[in-house]
Formats: sequence, C-alpha cells, structure tokens
Amino acid sequence: MGPTVTHTGPAHAPPPPTARAEPPPVRGHGAHRPAEGRRSGSRRENLAGYLFMSPWIAGFLLLTAGPMAASLYFAFTDYNLFDAPEWVGLKNFSDMFADPRWQKSVEVTLKYVVIGTPLKLAAALGVALLLAQSRRGQAFYRAAFYAPSLIGASVSIAVVWRAIFTDDAVVDRTQQLFGMNAGGWVGDPDMILYALVALTVWQFGAPMVIFLAGLKQVPRELYEAAEMDGAGPWRRFWNITLPMISPVLFFNVLLETIHSFQIFGSAYILGGQGNPCGPADATLVYTCYLYQQGFENSRMGFASAMAWMLLIAVGLVTAVLFWSQKRWVHYEENAR
Amino acid sequence: MRTSRHVERRTFLKAAGASLATVGLTAAGCGSGSGSNGGGPVTIRYAWWGADDRAKKINQTIALFEKKHPKIKVKTDFQPYVDFWKKFNTQAAGGNPPDVIQNAVTFLRKYEARNVLLDLNPQVQAGNLSTDNFRAGLEKFAEIDGNLLGLPVGSNSMGYIIDEKVYDKAGVTPQFGWTWDEWYAGLEKIKSKTGVPGDAGPHSIMYYYDLKLRQQGKAFFTENGLGFAESDLEAEWTEAMKRIRSGIYTDPKKAEQIKPKAATAGALSAGEFTWDNFTVRYAAEGKSSYGIAPIPTTDGKKTGQYLGSLMLSGTARTKHPKEVATFINFMVHDPEVGRIMGYDRGVLSTTGQFEAFEPTDKVSKQISAYETKIAETGVLEPITPHPAGADVIESAFLRLATEMSLSKASPGEAVDKFFTEAKTAFTANA
Amino acid sequence: MTLTLHTGPTPTSQSPRRRAGSLGWHLGALAVLAVVLYPVIWVLGGSFKPGNEIIGSLQLLPTDPIVANYTRLTEGIAGIPISTFFINSTVLAVGSVGGVLISCSLAAYAFSRIRFAGRNLLFALMIGTLLLPYHVLMIPQYVLFQKLELINTMVPLLLGKYLAVDAFFVFLMVQFMRNLPKELDEAARLDGCGHLRIYWSIVLPLCRPALITSAIFTFINAWNDFMGPLLYLNEPDNYTVSLGLKMFVDQDAVADYGGMIAMSLVALLPVLAFFLAFQRYLIDGMATSGLKG
Repeated sequence: MGPTVTHTGPAHAPPPPTARAEPPPVRGHGAHRPAEGRRSGSRRENLAGYLFMSPWIAGFLLLTAGPMAASLYFAFTDYNLFDAPEWVGLKNFSDMFADPRWQKSVEVTLKYVVIGTPLKLAAALGVALLLAQSRRGQAFYRAAFYAPSLIGASVSIAVVWRAIFTDDAVVDRTQQLFGMNAGGWVGDPDMILYALVALTVWQFGAPMVIFLAGLKQVPRELYEAAEMDGAGPWRRFWNITLPMISPVLFFNVLLETIHSFQIFGSAYILGGQGNPCGPADATLVYTCYLYQQGFENSRMGFASAMAWMLLIAVGLVTAVLFWSQKRWVHYEENAR
Repeated sequence: MRTSRHVERRTFLKAAGASLATVGLTAAGCGSGSGSNGGGPVTIRYAWWGADDRAKKINQTIALFEKKHPKIKVKTDFQPYVDFWKKFNTQAAGGNPPDVIQNAVTFLRKYEARNVLLDLNPQVQAGNLSTDNFRAGLEKFAEIDGNLLGLPVGSNSMGYIIDEKVYDKAGVTPQFGWTWDEWYAGLEKIKSKTGVPGDAGPHSIMYYYDLKLRQQGKAFFTENGLGFAESDLEAEWTEAMKRIRSGIYTDPKKAEQIKPKAATAGALSAGEFTWDNFTVRYAAEGKSSYGIAPIPTTDGKKTGQYLGSLMLSGTARTKHPKEVATFINFMVHDPEVGRIMGYDRGVLSTTGQFEAFEPTDKVSKQISAYETKIAETGVLEPITPHPAGADVIESAFLRLATEMSLSKASPGEAVDKFFTEAKTAFTANA
Repeated sequence: MTLTLHTGPTPTSQSPRRRAGSLGWHLGALAVLAVVLYPVIWVLGGSFKPGNEIIGSLQLLPTDPIVANYTRLTEGIAGIPISTFFINSTVLAVGSVGGVLISCSLAAYAFSRIRFAGRNLLFALMIGTLLLPYHVLMIPQYVLFQKLELINTMVPLLLGKYLAVDAFFVFLMVQFMRNLPKELDEAARLDGCGHLRIYWSIVLPLCRPALITSAIFTFINAWNDFMGPLLYLNEPDNYTVSLGLKMFVDQDAVADYGGMIAMSLVALLPVLAFFLAFQRYLIDGMATSGLKG
C-alpha cells in the first residue's frame, strides 16, 4: 500500500520546523464555516490546507471523480456494459419519467424516507437521552441497544424479520390484542413497507451513538446553572441540550435522509426469494430498481440516469437542509 | 461476425502478448496467447454457484484433476446463484471473467450475444474435448449457430412435486398421461377431503407455462421473442385467479410469507411444479414425504418436457483454451468425477458417469427413476436456447403474476405490463 | 484561559428519591430493551433449533434445544476452517479503521480549522460524493482496479479508507471539530504551534468521541461489507465472514439455515467485542468545560 505510507507519515512525525513559524492569527474573524463564502487565507494556510486534504484529494480524483464522470456520461447513452456506449441524448430520462415502475419506486422511496427517517431519529435520540444519564450497567445497555445495528443486512435478519411479521407471530398477536386483524405483514403488499420501516427504525444504533457522543460534549455546568435557575427537565432539554447538540442533530438528519433515499440492502433481503424488491413491487425502493435495471436488465445507461436523477433530488434536499441550518444549528462560535 | 472478432482478438493478443506478460500477469506462461503452455504450470479459474455441500464435492474432483494433470492448476470461486451472476456480470464487463464457469440455459444467449463465451468446437476438432457418449442428445444442448458454448454436467426436467401423504389421504393417484382436467379434478378432491389447497399456484412459473404451450405446439420463447399472444396469457391468468379465489390454489399471501420455503414443503399445498432435482430440498425442509408425479397433458400423451441442464462453459477471453477444454472434458467424462458429484447438478449427463454412479438415497433414486421413465415414454423434446433477455423476462413473469395474484393488478393489466417489459428486455439485449 | 476535562460521572447523593428514580429508570430501560432485543433473542433461539424448523418459526425459543448448528461450524465451510474467514475479516476491519481515522481526521481538520482557497468548493464536492448510489460507481471502479492488477487482493477494499473516500466520516468529524472552542487554536498559535501540532495534540484528543464513533462504525461496516469482498476477492481462502455466511444457502441445495444462523451469531462476537472495548471511551468521553468566552 504505497500511498498509505506516505499519507500516514505526517500524522506521526513531529511537526516540521516551517509549520511552527506561523504568523499569529488574525483576531476576531468570527464564524468560520465551510458553507459560508470566505476570503481565502494566506499562502501558508493554503499549503497547510492542501497538505491535510491531500489523501482526500487523491482519493477523490482516483476513486470517485472518474467513476462519477463516467456515470454522468453513461446517463446519456445506451450502455449494456459490454458493447460501447451509444449516445442517445435525453432518451433515458424521458423513458424513466414514462416508466410506471420508476414512478412506483419514487413513491415507495418517498414514503419510506418520510415515515422512516423521523421515526429512526426519534428512537435514536430518545434512547441516547436515556443512556446519557450516568447509571449503573451503562456498558450493558449501550451494547444491548446497539446490538441490532451490528448485524447489518444479513440473511439472518431477513429470516427473523419475516418470521416475526408473519401470520400469528408476535406482531400479529400484538395487533390482535388491540382488536386489529391485519394478519402478517410480509406477505401483504400494503404492509410489507412498514415491516421494512420497522427494520430501519430497529437498527437505530448509528445515530444513537452519534447523539451520545454529542451529548457528552455538552458542558455539565450549563445544566447545573440551569437547574439552579429552576429550569425543569423539558426546558433544560429544549434550551440547552437541543441547541448544544444541534450540529450533531444536523449531521444525523442529513445523513439519515441521504441514506434513506439510498436504502438498498435491507429492502433487497427482506423481499423474499424471487421478489428482491418485495411482492408486487411493494418495497421497490429507488436503488433496488436502479440495481435491477443496471445489473439484472443490463441497462447501465438507464441506471446511471436514475442515479443522477437521485443525486439531483437528494442534492436539493441537502441544499435546503444546509440552508436551514443557519436558523437552528448552533456552532461553538455562534453559541457564545 | 463472431469468427472475425475472434481472429482480431487473437492477433491483438499475439501483438500485445509480450508486453502484457512483462507487466506481470499472475501465473507463469501467461503470455503464450493460444494456450500451448510453455512448460510451467498453467492456472485456470473456475467459478460456479452453490453452497458448502457442492463445494466439498467440487474440491474433491479438482484434486483428482490436478493429480492427473499436474501442469494445470485450478482455482475456484463460488457464491450462491444470485451473487454468482452479479459477480460474473461485473467481471465479464470488466474483461476479467473466470476461465470456466458453471452456466445455465437462461444465460446462454445473453452472454453469447456479448462474445463472452468460448466456442468449444475448435477444441473438439483438436481432440481436447469429446462430445461422445452424452445421454439423450445432451451434447447439442448448448449449441447456438454452430458454436458449442458449453457441455452439460447433468440433466434435469420439470416435474410435479407432491405431498404423498396428502394425496394418499385424498385418494388421488397421478398417472402418466393424465390430463389437465383430471389433474384439476384431483386438486378439487384434495381440497374437499383434506382442506389443503391442491396446488401452490403455477401461474407465476415460466417453465410451467412453457410446458403447457409446448403441448399445444407452441413454446414460451421463439429464437428472438415470445411464442404466445397476450390473449393466451390473459386466459391462463384469469383462470388462475378463479382458482385462487376458490381456494384450490394456495392463498398467495401465505405462500409469500413462508418464502424461501416452498409452499408444499410448508404444508400450504399438496403439490407444485418445479425442477425434479429440487426434490431434495422438499425432503429436507418439510415434514411429510414427497414424490415426483408426472406432468399433466393436453392430449393424454405429450408433456412438452425436455431435459434442461447445468453446463460448463469456457470464456472467450481465456488465455488457455486448451487447458479449459481439457478441464471440461475431464469433468463431464471421468467416471470417478461422476461418482463424487452424484446428482448434485442433475442426473449425470454422459453414459460413463451415469453408469459409474449408483444412487443409494431415496431422493436420488426417485429422480433417476423419473428421468428414466420420461425418457422411455418418449415425451422428451429438444430445447430451444432462450433468447437474450430471457433471464429478465423470467423474473418479470414471476413478479407480475405475483402482483396479480395479490390483487394488485387485474389479469389484463398484468399481461399488458408483462408484454411491455418483455419488449424492453428484448430491445435492451438486442 | 483554562481548560478542564472531566471524565466520568460526578458523584451524586443516594437519597431515597434518587434510588426510586434509578429503579424507575432501569425498569423503563429494560422494557424498551425487551422490545428491541426480541428479534435478537429469536435468532439466538433459532440457532438451537433444527434447520427445517427455523423458517417462519412462531416460537421464540426451541422446545428441544440442539447444539448441532454450532458443532457443525467446527467442520469449516467448503473445506475452509471458519477461522480463515475471521482472520481475513479482522485484517480488513482493522486495516480500515486505521485508514479512516488518519485520513478522514486530516481532511476534517482542514475543512474545519484551516482557511484555504477552494475550501467551500471541496466541501461541496465531498458532500456530493455522498449523494450518488454506490452501484453506478461499481463497474468503473472495478475496471480501474483490474487495470491496476489489484483484483484478488485487499487493496481495492482498503485503498479508499486511506484516501478518505468515506465522506460520512469526514463530515462527522467536521461537525465535531467545528464545535471545539476557537480559542484553543488561537492560544496554541500564540504558543507557536503549527497546524500539525494543533491537530495532533489538541484537536484529536478533544475529538475522541467522534474518533471512537468513526472507528466503531468503520469496523462494523468493514466486517459486514458484502459487495466489496464479493467483487474483489476471487478465492475462497481470501473470503471474509460476510461471504462465508452465504455459503450455507443456495437455491440448488438443501439450505442449512441452522448453520447460517449459528455462524451469523458467532460472526457477531468480534464486532460486539470491538464495540464493548471501545464504547468505554464513549462513556469516559471528555466533556470540555470551563472555557468561558
């Protein structure tokens, strides 16, 4: 691994003499965030910046930029992976908009994102708040709540999930207790998407851990001071916790949203044999359809067009979220 | 077209051979282009799909091969079926496929159309590979437009798996040559006497519909399209919906729920159409005892059956076609290999291997008896290799039939969608 | 300017009311946990059931527990001892963790604490890489690694980790680093420290929760990664656990769901151990305080 060694080098080496002799920083430059336009720094800052960025830049150029450019080109071609791509202009896009299965996949994905993401984040934050308290047996609780997320999207998960959402299994029984007679979810095209949502929510470990790490960074004095002022738990949560963890909350909202749009693994395994995207396309999430078109149907051009459509859509959502963070995300510089 | 490309590729290889070899391709002797090995051992890659059990058997056969051919080393790579094709497709698209693969008829034309598969005829002519001694004309199985694209390692046929206990209890006995009406009367009798739905619902199985069409002198696929009309399929699927509603076919929601277990193995139906070599799964997954019944007929005689098969194919980019041929030859003809593999990939395809293996377990005996019987009754027909895109169409058929049976589309809508998607698939693969 | 780090809980008085609250907390946590762990217990129970009773089983626990599914694992899969898969996965996972921690934190430091020309553009590009589904990059990447003759090695699986390709982690670390008090850098600079020293001695230690979080995720992702090993590893001896898990079930064969479930639980142990070992640092994670601006 040649490049690895060169890049890990500087991290361990003592700082080179030149790096020490830096001019004293300019005072009072306030917020300092990537999303904002800023005057560029000094030459030395530029050099340091690009040195620190060099592994990322190398990775971007080598592994990401090329393939992304290729996929952008394929989006305007008829490409079956074997013969040379043939330029077809916007045909893939017009085919896509006219395709009822594509429309179905958009509908399924939006439903999944809109229902699943808030539920998952709420579960993760709720449990993180519970676990952030110093209690006995924390290690056990954290590991136990994280356990579902360790398993990933394996076949075992598909087996257990299908089993507990089948007729007369635990979920159906619980529903019957409440007088609902819906039957099992996995064989029912109207319900299986909710089984998938439940699976996603169940694996809330990743955002939970990120919330926990964020909660750990909240200075305890703030709570103590608030308590002295007579603030109750709800107000402490609303006025201290939420603003203080807002960068982490922002991160989780953004990443979970992006991931939800791209959900593939758990949908693909849950559908069952012969119907990788669910019976009657009930869990035909966007990436599942993209995968089918690209790899099973050998329509790589169409799949690339789908991918770029997704990129544009999620890009817009991301941009809106970044724009909104000015209103509700508090970074250290702003907090004081 | 095909041959000229081959020539081009070979000349190119010769020209580029030296430089490529110096860049350091894996094994020694790689640069020699047309496969005459320059003394050192040659390594070929062999990929297949299967699980643990098959892996153990294949490892034994490879050890045997390497012992008899010390100058050829074989490296294996395997995954389950779906992952296997995912990986093979990526490798083939990247120009780096294994030298030998296990192959199936559904994928034959797809990869033939993209020049991925090796024509084995030159190797037959060179005496590296023998097409003699195959049972029931199986050596022609993978011949397309005069190119020999693979040789079968085992044969299988569609059969009708039944739950013997339920059939006994209902007093229904399947006979060779029974008609569809007799079959359906049997299902009704089973439902009324035992409460078990008679069949899991065959309407989503492409190969079942193919049999029905063949009995009427048609087929599911022609060389480049579908061999039936929208009205044919609409009639078939409309009837299926009636049977689902009457409870003669299994409730699709229930069948969907117990996947990947088969409905019959899960006691949700008394029988279903499937490949005869899948019988082994029913015995292991279910609690009853299972048998293979004959396929119902239209005219009391013709079943429309043919021998399908798994085969071994070489890939066109291999640098060692001679070694590939030697390997395939060994795997299809060597009696010891037959004894090791048994009916793992279907009933052994060459007479030498077929005679070398004596089935001892119940399931293998059943399968052997079944195939012997259908061969004797003379119902076997030749198969037409599926057109490119057949794999896509098979999954669309399954998906849309399921969509209909779950009441998410009317038979008419499902048929419309199927024909639209089939058209797209043929265009994409043209 | 002072910086106090405190670790661990502040001692609290054990009044009866607090104790009652503690009991309530535990009861509440256990109730939630019971729901969350039900499927895990189902899998655990399933691993002691005979293979043909697992699919669609309505029972949580086996009536007649058997250990055959576990003893079967000692035979290995396809003639390969199980330990081989575990060693390969460990190499991959540990290698990935090292790469991600170093390369992503370097990039995150630059994004959050160095003002260099083009930073906003690069940041937008990095976020952009999060948006494209992996599947369309798969084939071009495969062709690239094949041209570099790196197929059937771990390089394609590891290289990206050392080149900060996981934008997720860069972004995660950025979010944490941006929340560290700016005064820290300024004080350090006045003391004559360069960026490398600030990065290594000040920012990294303060970002430990983020680093540990990234390490845990990287380990788990690498351990569970299926697509990468599937495409790039060509010999069973090089297979990882995630590939090994798939060897129990194929459409042509009698599926060994018992073996698969048992193996999936055994495969869980290393990730669980990794999580337990490192989550301690999350608990002890430092809270910065005492810095009044």
